[in-house]
Amino acid sequence: MGIKVHVHQSHVQYTNGERIIEVEGHTVGACLKNIAVKYPEFGKQIFEKQGKLNHLFEIYVNGESAYPKELEKEIKDGDDVYITRLLSGG
Amino acid sequence: MLTKRDRNLYDRQIMIPEIGEKGQERLNQAKVLIAGVGGLGSPTAFYLAAAGIGTIRLVDYDVVDISNLNRQILHWDGDIGREKVDSALEKLSRLNPSINIEPVREKIREDNLSRIVEGCNLIVDAMDNFNVRYLLNRSAVDHQIPLFHGAVRGFEGRAMTILPGQTACLMCMYRGPVPEEKSPVIGVTPAVIGAIQATEVIKFLTGVGQLLTNRILLFDGIDMTFKEFRINRNPHCMHCGNIKGKE
Ligand SMILES: [Zn+2]
Repeated sequence: MGIKVHVHQSHVQYTNGERIIEVEGHTVGACLKNIAVKYPEFGKQIFEKQGKLNHLFEIYVNGESAYPKELEKEIKDGDDVYITRLLSGG
Repeated sequence: MLTKRDRNLYDRQIMIPEIGEKGQERLNQAKVLIAGVGGLGSPTAFYLAAAGIGTIRLVDYDVVDISNLNRQILHWDGDIGREKVDSALEKLSRLNPSINIEPVREKIREDNLSRIVEGCNLIVDAMDNFNVRYLLNRSAVDHQIPLFHGAVRGFEGRAMTILPGQTACLMCMYRGPVPEEKSPVIGVTPAVIGAIQATEVIKFLTGVGQLLTNRILLFDGIDMTFKEFRINRNPHCMHCGNIKGKE
């Protein structure tokens, strides 16, 4: 059993349609890097230059915002991670 | 004091124990600012006017464009080319002539916002960009009045209520500037989110229920789900980090 990462509707185009990806990793950053290895196109969306998290993305772990140091946030097997994005329309 | 007409007009909501005559009086005395009379501002203003909010100040500098009509339900075909605040004023006064509508045709800027907000009990964020949202957030913090955040894209929307100094604000989650974009959107999405914002406003004014504070509600119309995530106040927040809310 790994970490369950829930993929946003708009990102399933990068994950062969997968809405939930199971990955390993002790931090959010490690999990996302593993996702980037498996789905390089998604990786390009997730990370900005210097490996920073895309600033329009939001990460929630077990129902709570992982802000501000999302990538360093420690996680364990069985945790739920949601990757979503900021909305700005009105 | 409620008039006989008020008692008839608002009969069905006065029947709700959480509102009652006392709650209705509070709504009648309230003055709210709705920033933006577009997709979110239309349903919010409609429902707040129908609920009998005493004064609604509407701010928008834009004129009605044909591409607005799929979602901005205060504006109709015959309004194309008309100022949005005028179009909104007409519809809302016809819906409820017993309330005051104050149209402000201005673009919200840092140097006019304080004047625009003056005298209002709260701000509804019905904007379409984060640059102005952050100005509204700052202003809500400065004036110590709540901000009712809403945003939409496609079939997706979100809402959060902010009590400055007490609960997480928009800047508490700041991750850098958000580029302005022309968002795809279907009218039902701002209808859902605007109705949630209006619900929160009514609850705040009447003092009932659990507000959507320190949690963000995400609506997904494709999956037809609502998800809620906890948001924490940031002690280093550039807007609210140094202030304590009034109790
Ligand atoms: Zn804050």
